[in-house]
Amino acid sequence: MANAVAAPAKSKKRSKLQNDTGWAVLMLGPNLLGFLLFMLGPVVATLFLSFTEYDLIAPLKFIGLQNYIEMFQDEIVGQTLLNTFIYTILTVPVGMCLSLILAVLLDQDLAIRRFYRAVYFLPSITSMVAVAVVWQWIYNPEFGLLNYVFSVVGLPQMKWLSSSSTSLISIAIVGIWKSLGYNMLLFLSGLQGISTTYYEASELDGANKLQQFWYVTVPMLRPTIFFVFVMSIISSFQVFDSVMLMTKGGPGRSSSVLVHYLYQNAFQYFRMGYACAIAYLLFAVVLIITLCNMRFEKKMRDIY
Amino acid sequence: MKRTKLTKALVACLAAAMAVSVAGCGGGGGQQSSAPAADNNAPAADNAPAADNNAPAADNKGGDVTISFMGWEASPLETDAVKNGISIFESENPGVKVSYTPSLSGAEYTAKLLSTVAGDSTPDVMFMQSTDYRMFASRGVLTEVTDKFSEEFSLDDFVDSARQIMEIDGHVFGIQSCIVTPVLYYNKDIFDAAGIPYPSASEAMQWEDFRQLCIKLTTDDVYGCYGQEVVSTSLNAFLQSNGAAMYTDDMNTCTVNSPEAIEVLNAIRDLRIVDNAAPDATTLENIGMSANQMLQTGRVAMLIDGSWALQELASIGFPVDMAPIPYFKTPTNIAQAHLHCISARSPHQDESWEFLKFLSGMNYQGALVKSGLWMPNRISMYEDAAVNEWFDPAVHGSYKQMLGYFKDAKVQVSALQKSSQCSDILTEETDKFFKDGQATEATVENLQTRINEVLERLASEG
Repeated sequence: MANAVAAPAKSKKRSKLQNDTGWAVLMLGPNLLGFLLFMLGPVVATLFLSFTEYDLIAPLKFIGLQNYIEMFQDEIVGQTLLNTFIYTILTVPVGMCLSLILAVLLDQDLAIRRFYRAVYFLPSITSMVAVAVVWQWIYNPEFGLLNYVFSVVGLPQMKWLSSSSTSLISIAIVGIWKSLGYNMLLFLSGLQGISTTYYEASELDGANKLQQFWYVTVPMLRPTIFFVFVMSIISSFQVFDSVMLMTKGGPGRSSSVLVHYLYQNAFQYFRMGYACAIAYLLFAVVLIITLCNMRFEKKMRDIY
Repeated sequence: MKRTKLTKALVACLAAAMAVSVAGCGGGGGQQSSAPAADNNAPAADNAPAADNNAPAADNKGGDVTISFMGWEASPLETDAVKNGISIFESENPGVKVSYTPSLSGAEYTAKLLSTVAGDSTPDVMFMQSTDYRMFASRGVLTEVTDKFSEEFSLDDFVDSARQIMEIDGHVFGIQSCIVTPVLYYNKDIFDAAGIPYPSASEAMQWEDFRQLCIKLTTDDVYGCYGQEVVSTSLNAFLQSNGAAMYTDDMNTCTVNSPEAIEVLNAIRDLRIVDNAAPDATTLENIGMSANQMLQTGRVAMLIDGSWALQELASIGFPVDMAPIPYFKTPTNIAQAHLHCISARSPHQDESWEFLKFLSGMNYQGALVKSGLWMPNRISMYEDAAVNEWFDPAVHGSYKQMLGYFKDAKVQVSALQKSSQCSDILTEETDKFFKDGQATEATVENLQTRINEVLERLASEG
């Protein structure tokens, strides 16, 4: 009798499981299909094309590792890779620190905090084309706002975008400004997930605001910080639009980054195969950095 | 434990894959979705002609054929001229419509055209930059029109520079639109105020005379000349006038590392650095003016710019006139211009050819010549009777004395180059020279080494 009762229960459970699997497939299917078509497909195709000589027009020719050999001998690849690293180093730490500070400030009980949140988030939803035009005027050596401010405080006038010593920094400043609001929003959501009991307990233990920030906020925000860090690095390695719109990589190659050189090879020099090899260099760099980040994050988790 | 590691490795791989796939697509800014959208608009626009190409049935409703036509918008005046021309063509050819898509110019146009070819959505008729013509023709993208061309035109009637650009080993894949050459424009008011006679339109100045003139014209508010550092317009003319050559005749080797080239680069730079008679190379972006506006407002007394600038200068309404650009040893001018070509994949070859012929006729080319944007590329159009048809004293000023200057111009060698990478290298290295103080010797050495590396690679690829 007991068996007779257990049997329908088991069958019901299995049926529910089958139903769940069906639903899961149904729900995940479109996303999976999109991933296969628009992510995995291009990734595999890019790998294949990187072993070919292909100009988008003539039939492709398999050339083995030739593109990779040439890439490692190409000084411009080295230069643009270095520029990409410099851009990342300039944008990621500064951008994250500023975003975190902003998020902490706007997490306070301010009367018009919603207004400020919207203000800081606006650049993230503004078209890069419009941003580039505005910043080109801000950077204008003769009439620009930045040089005006410099002149007021007695600093020397700069040629921002038209000097090879400042062009990359100028683009990095725009990058920081544009991503500030988005990162701030992520930090804000992280901050709001921290229970107030931690702050109350630390306050009872005599911690001041700074100590609370270091010993409560930062450890509790660790997953968000890690997420923002990884995404910011990936994003900074993909920088292209601001370079293309503001300097086209110049003067000389001073602000050219890896994706800009990739684009030039693919769409201006008729060298799609070589461009794909450069894309895989980017892949390898981002992969290594992401793995290092994960290892670092694990160590941090062990510490806290 | 192993599973966790595997999961982590997979996550890292996916993160990197995301980077490579987004980068491979030519987009940017992972977090900043608005930015890639701007870039991705271009392919969307590229696809516009596809609708015409791939839907002949729809086009042919009522017997109509729609030809897709892609060009670039160099200026609103040029776009207006193109649209006017299309209206005339459509009225002369009932049943044939032209769908025009203006685009960006320069390297972005090449990228756009290449993506239309890759996406099988090439427009039926297209502008083709002279610097790209050989690359697209050699890859079978363009319809060979040699026979049709011979029936309608004579290659001997085209000026030397045009003929050299259009003809590839005896084959013609497009008709050159016109010629454009560098010209020395000057603001007559500034010359009058300084009491200095105008430059001669019939005889070019030697560089030293030009230099002295620039020094005389320079005051606290006015610079002598602007534009000589814009390498794409005039550098090759200066080099050739001093006996230096950018390439060997077969275009297989760069030969710019020569004392003559060093002399030219030094002279151009010294006009700004030593004589202080020319503004900084970045002046345009600094003051937010176009070169034409600088001339009009008297910031510069003279301007070296392309002949295309005349259309706008003539329409601004100030006392402007023209003269040949200065030379070093031998008076030299260079010319090139874009071509009009038919896509090899176009289903409307006959209609496209009719349109191509129209674009080379008086109703189109002639109208743009009359407006001052273009100069004729046919020898017959430089004969007295023909000149009277297009010459407008209010627009063309001293051009009548400069007809030989245009007609006998040598070909701009960048039009014959094997890859646009060579032009980019020229821009990069001269940027370093003019803007960052790179030594002249290092500049020509880098130019020669880097361009020859590209040419060697192209030769090895066949």
